[in-house]
Amino acid sequence: MSIEKGKISNQQLLFLVAGFVLGSVLLVDFTVGITEHQTWMVILAGLAITAPVILSYVVLAKKFPGMNLVQINDMVYGRFLGKVISIYYIFFFSMTLSFNIRDVGELYITFLMQDTPFIFFLIVFTATCAYAVSKGIEVLARVSHLFVVSGLFVIVSAFTLLIDQMDFSNFLPFFELPFIRIFQGIHIVSVIPYGETVVFLMIMGCLNKTDHAVKKTFSGLLIGAVSLLIVAVRNTAVLGRTQTIWTSTSFQSIRLINIGTVLTRMDFLIGIAQTILIFFKCSLFFYALVVALSQLFGLKSYLPLVLPLAGIEVIIAATVFQSPVDHAMITLNAGIIYSAPLIFVFPPLSLLIAKIRGLPKLERGKGI
Amino acid sequence: MIFLLLIYAFVLIINVPGLIKRKEWRELAVFSVFYVIAFALGLMYVLDIPIPSPMKGLQHLIVDIFGLEYPK
Repeated sequence: MSIEKGKISNQQLLFLVAGFVLGSVLLVDFTVGITEHQTWMVILAGLAITAPVILSYVVLAKKFPGMNLVQINDMVYGRFLGKVISIYYIFFFSMTLSFNIRDVGELYITFLMQDTPFIFFLIVFTATCAYAVSKGIEVLARVSHLFVVSGLFVIVSAFTLLIDQMDFSNFLPFFELPFIRIFQGIHIVSVIPYGETVVFLMIMGCLNKTDHAVKKTFSGLLIGAVSLLIVAVRNTAVLGRTQTIWTSTSFQSIRLINIGTVLTRMDFLIGIAQTILIFFKCSLFFYALVVALSQLFGLKSYLPLVLPLAGIEVIIAATVFQSPVDHAMITLNAGIIYSAPLIFVFPPLSLLIAKIRGLPKLERGKGI
Repeated sequence: MIFLLLIYAFVLIINVPGLIKRKEWRELAVFSVFYVIAFALGLMYVLDIPIPSPMKGLQHLIVDIFGLEYPK
């Protein structure tokens, strides 16, 4: 039995994936402290490494049409082990959602509205996400192109307005950093913006046709990756070596826009764009979390869980880290290590087991 | 504190009557469990009772026990 009755098209999937990856633009700052002026390389390398894994997600979703990740786990690994793996995924969705909610709070408290209580941002933002999730995946998919276009507009216009301040010698010398730092950077990029697309295994079951799912998913991924690349190139070209000392490199570079003393201090622009894009990403994570939990408990609808989970996520987001520094330190070590099996191991392994066991045809033959 | 109680009362009013009317007892049971967890966490936050961070425990497990950490 499927929890979600709504259906989305392949075109909407493209914008959902693009908007989701764009929602991680702010998190490029996590990598900058480690990979400095070579961040652009890490973004491209991360995409190349993650592409086959994301292909396995889409192939898995096509192999089990109309089913979400919890149902796939139950079918592939059996009822007990499948539920254990699903609980691991639910923990991942819950933690990642709380980190992203906290990111919005930190963004506002640091740059935009310093005197407002932190918890207020978390409550308002999570309530908005809960409202969006209660409307269903169809509604989110229908508005996704608006979010993607507005996000791209801000990124491209900021790049254009900063062209006169760019110094491309900031990218030199290539291959200066030790391999371990490049490796850690690739690990961060492949887990945070790209690997988190594992959440789409909870959404691809709603596709009305799976014919062009691979093409559309990769088109969306490419739009998101190019946007991340534009942001990384802009920040390095504008800020150079100083980009590692700022809390948010994107905000700092946008603050340098000065066109005839008329167009200046445009950081509110990036604040609006970031809020929209992180809202979209959080809504998808929240949707995946409530659907996974409802599926696990065998509920008819996910709606009764939306508000209690919103309350839990607000408190987790408020208390999970003591400061932005604590947030970065834990995410860059434990955060990317514990989520690696969920992103790189289980989906390809599920696909391999399904191939070997001839699933799901075998199960249908049994009449299960 | 009053604001928190108002929010939790609002959540109850929105969800419970519909679930009872439709006789969705399993949904009501699961909702109640998560509602109690949310209420307890909210109360702990308002009363400044320390809430253990799951990521701190995970950090301890991965870094201190398994020794998996990138060099600084």
